[in-house]
Amino acid sequence: SRELFVLTYGALVAQLCKDYEKDEDVNTCLDRMGYGIGVRLIDDFLARSAVKKCRSYSETADMIAQVAFKMYLGVTPRVSCSSAAGNEFSLILDKNPLVDFVEELPAERASLCYCNLLCGVIRGALEMVHLAAEVTFLQDRLKGDAVTEIGITFLRKAEDRKHKRN
Amino acid sequence: ALVSVICPPPQNYPLYIRSVPTENELKFHYTVHTSLDVVDEKISAMGKALVDQRELYLGLLYPTEDYKVYGYVTNSKVKFVMVVDSSNTALRDNEIRSMFRKLHNSYTDIMCNPFYNPGDCIHSRAFDNMVNSMMMQVC
Repeated sequence: SRELFVLTYGALVAQLCKDYEKDEDVNTCLDRMGYGIGVRLIDDFLARSAVKKCRSYSETADMIAQVAFKMYLGVTPRVSCSSAAGNEFSLILDKNPLVDFVEELPAERASLCYCNLLCGVIRGALEMVHLAAEVTFLQDRLKGDAVTEIGITFLRKAEDRKHKRN
Repeated sequence: ALVSVICPPPQNYPLYIRSVPTENELKFHYTVHTSLDVVDEKISAMGKALVDQRELYLGLLYPTEDYKVYGYVTNSKVKFVMVVDSSNTALRDNEIRSMFRKLHNSYTDIMCNPFYNPGDCIHSRAFDNMVNSMMMQVC
């Protein structure tokens, strides 16, 4: 059930906050956990969605937003390309189910990235399909921004992959 | 004037007291504490019946010359108390019931917040807004 998942995630973050004094440590921990989830989740995703190979970064970003997010979180973020080189994308979430019950970050945790687990998941999953990427939060509703925005920067060019196969 | 109070077990002290207008808040503290005792009395008097019903709207606890006090207890033994001016005769029973229900729903939202520790005083803006709008409607 979704509520159990959201409450479990909340308990996880609250516990991490008790274990680590600094926000950066909590963020790093969440990212690491997400990475561990992502490298495993990708197989489940590929098996259940049976999608074809993505031929470009923008197809990959669309796939993450429209299929993966829909499948696991029930929301579909908007995708926008934020660089001319075509390797930086933004996923814009109007609604983030993970923060349903969190009204706002506590005052002493102002730089906590509450959903940093998601960044790790995306990074881990992409790595398992041989796409290195940096994933961070660019905007966060919990910190007062208008929307929640996740930025994905692909680090290697797609041509490298083709070279390797030949 | 309207006051609302929330009180979970096992501590019997209120986590949230709000009154409109705010000057008389201290006087209400006394009324509230005595009414909590009345709530406890009613619960123990109900006995078996309490276990069967899911929520218990306790109704008018007792009327004093100035105020009427209403109580509500959830099946998790959280007590809500509302003190209303006797001069406010326009308030009907089902309005009070719906106000308690709104309080209960907002309280469960607070409980779901992972950063809220049970037993802390309630400092949520959303909760304050809900209570303020509810009390504005009445006064």
